[in-house]
Amino acid sequence: MATDMQQTITRIADIIINELKLEDVTPETFDADLDLVDEIGIDSMDLATIALVLRDEYGIRIDEDDYPKLTTVRIIAEYISTKLAEDK
Amino acid sequence: MYKFSDIIAEPAIRAGFEKVRKYFFLRESTYDMSNRCNIRCEGCYYFQGDKQFAEENLNESDWKQLMEAEKERGITFVVLAGAEPSLVQNLCKTCYDVIPLGCIASNGLNVLPKEIDYRIHISVWGNDKTSHEIRKAKNMLARQMENYQGDERAVWVYTFTPVNIDEAREVTKLLAANGQQITFNMFSAPVGYNGHLKHSPETLAHTRQVMSELLTEFPETVLFSPYNIVAHTHEQGLHDLFSCSYPRMNPSTDIGLGRSFRQYRTDLKWDRAAACCVPDTDCDDCRHYAAGSAVVTARMYRHATDPQTFSAWLDYVDTYLAVWVKGYQKSENLCKELIEPPKETEN
Repeated sequence: MATDMQQTITRIADIIINELKLEDVTPETFDADLDLVDEIGIDSMDLATIALVLRDEYGIRIDEDDYPKLTTVRIIAEYISTKLAEDK
Repeated sequence: MYKFSDIIAEPAIRAGFEKVRKYFFLRESTYDMSNRCNIRCEGCYYFQGDKQFAEENLNESDWKQLMEAEKERGITFVVLAGAEPSLVQNLCKTCYDVIPLGCIASNGLNVLPKEIDYRIHISVWGNDKTSHEIRKAKNMLARQMENYQGDERAVWVYTFTPVNIDEAREVTKLLAANGQQITFNMFSAPVGYNGHLKHSPETLAHTRQVMSELLTEFPETVLFSPYNIVAHTHEQGLHDLFSCSYPRMNPSTDIGLGRSFRQYRTDLKWDRAAACCVPDTDCDDCRHYAAGSAVVTARMYRHATDPQTFSAWLDYVDTYLAVWVKGYQKSENLCKELIEPPKETEN
């Protein structure tokens, strides 16, 4: 289970790096607890784009009201995990 | 349900998305510059509510300090409005020197110097006869056009009221002949206003028809899209359709407008409970162009249901950028149909 979570975290980090065109960081070195809004400067439109890519990747629906809660890669990974469990 | 990757795989949609996403960095706030105006219009947003009584701060150094603080907290786009910013041109220049992206809402009767290189929105409320009745100023359009002849900063904002719907053609024709551009706004009632300028279902439908005709007949002059027409002439207001993201209606401070937007009054103070682009407007009746520019744009996720709906959203954002960002060129609209806005739960 921990390995699954780590894989999800790495994949989300990869998506964020790709969408935001971040440099000098890899999915493996991305700090999963970094605050995406305060420390990376991500805005709501970037987050919406990332949410759409995650929707494609994991086949989940992300409620608009849930956006503000998705502030770190770890939180996003946990959110996805919960959504996937709900859909089973 | 389409995958997002499938939607943006279509070349025209991908190109449109890549074009608009370059501007996702825009973060706006708005500023009342003066509590004076050189005209007095019926239903004016500024002279409703308390903000008209805020003391004027005319100190350039205070404004410079405010702009620097705004820049520091991430604001990249300023909207200088109420009551009439052209009466305090030195303050507009102070803002421009610190944050060079922005827009000034003006009645166009005073010329703003070229060195303030913001977009300028010039308000027009009908032909000169109607304008004289409602705004108490003579020959407004002729004076505005002369003042901003050949000026790429200028775009006219035609506010549709129930009494001027058919006059939009005359105004658009004149601007087209003069090589100038126009976009459309809807009169949105201030809180407590029940006068004759408030729209009804019939006047909304009539406005929709006229907007559609003008967009078809004057594609080079009219900065609008079929989806703009739907969003702004719908019987439901913008908040009901898209759930307004301005602080006044959105308690969240986590991200987006709820986090960063402020509306400063002339005393350089702001109040979260009143913070939106048109304070004192009745939110249930809000179809204001400035509100839509933020509120519809913010709802990208719910529009990513299929290529047509996403195209309509892209047209809206493309229009918003062309209207608000000087130098941004609008593309041809991708969605020609009048499609119904998606519900949040559809996605």
